[in-house]
Amino acid sequence: TTVFDIDNNKKYFIEHHINHDKDVYPEPPSRTPVEDRQSSLPNPALILSKLFYYSVDLPVTTFRDIVEGIQSGKKSHYYHQKFRRVPELTQCQEGDYVCYYEAEMQWRRDYKVDQEIVKVIQERLRACQQREGPSYSQNCYKELQQFEQVSKAFQSRYGDLGAYASARKCLMKQKERMMAEQQQA
Amino acid sequence: MVGMSLLRTAAAFTARLNPLKRTCQSSNLLSRTVARSEQVVVRYGSHGKRMFIIKPTDFYDRRFLHLLKYYILLAGIPVAALVTFVNIFIGESELAEIPEGYEPEHWEYYKHPITRWIARTFYDSPVKDYEKMMALIQMEAEKAEMSQWDSHMPPGFHPKYLKLCSEDEQSFYRFGTTWGQLQLEVRRHMREKGDGPWFQIQTLDKNLIDHSPKSSPDN
Repeated sequence: TTVFDIDNNKKYFIEHHINHDKDVYPEPPSRTPVEDRQSSLPNPALILSKLFYYSVDLPVTTFRDIVEGIQSGKKSHYYHQKFRRVPELTQCQEGDYVCYYEAEMQWRRDYKVDQEIVKVIQERLRACQQREGPSYSQNCYKELQQFEQVSKAFQSRYGDLGAYASARKCLMKQKERMMAEQQQA
Repeated sequence: MVGMSLLRTAAAFTARLNPLKRTCQSSNLLSRTVARSEQVVVRYGSHGKRMFIIKPTDFYDRRFLHLLKYYILLAGIPVAALVTFVNIFIGESELAEIPEGYEPEHWEYYKHPITRWIARTFYDSPVKDYEKMMALIQMEAEKAEMSQWDSHMPPGFHPKYLKLCSEDEQSFYRFGTTWGQLQLEVRRHMREKGDGPWFQIQTLDKNLIDHSPKSSPDN
């Protein structure tokens, strides 16, 4: 039986550069066996990794540490803005243009949020495919299903609204959808 | 292989014997020695002979490139230095949860210090912009509504217009006004509050103009 081990440089990389959720983007099990060298020739992979480490990784990390040393203390913060929910377009009186405006702004914020949600799901699928390699259609089944569901929902709600999309057009699209469903049933 | 070298020597021999190319007709024909001539290779103490190279002018191209670099770097270097110093010595902000009961200022929603400075110094807060937009929408909606009043309804009873008037005006308008008078009143309000650029410039009273005939045109 072979013994698996993680390369030292890779371990360094992992420890210093994680800023994502480890459960969502798990590390694949490493398949590199422990080295059992018989020849006395130098290992080119080791040479290249050491070269990369000393020429790129170390200078960049030391520069970053120096800059962080200069900036230590008096850290300012930034926040994510939280918006209150306002009545939607369907809950506005007819002719109440101020209500229309607020509903439109809220719809635009929700549109942006939904775009970002789709991007996150896409990223997860991409990461899964990269991890699993040729057998992704079998191993990433959950991510595939999730992506399909989310993109179908996005397409049905915001699909062909175009560049001048607005809350009214989205509402009209929903109306058409409901009418089509009713005709089918 | 041997045949090739033989052929080569034969070719060299015939080349030497070529009557058209014979430099001197001396006795060293059949030998392989080269005749030494009296011409000496010139060795310069400088970088060689100065040549007058004739080519089309590159003055305009070089001037253009020089000026381009000059004007780009004139603002580019200070801006690059400023941004570098800001990034190194001030640094970007960190994301944090909004503390309980604290309302962050509108510039505290941005990360980079220069963006924060611009939002703090030049821009109104997005909340203020939102409210300004809603105020404009409400004013336009009121004007649109006023211009669409049903002409069969007596004017005095419209509650929205009554709110704009003072108490005695309200009693005046409740009874005995015509639509023409009301339209004039609306137009006066529009002039005062400003419906377009031509209403916002105060001019002198038109009654001050002297329309009597003058002795000379430019009087």
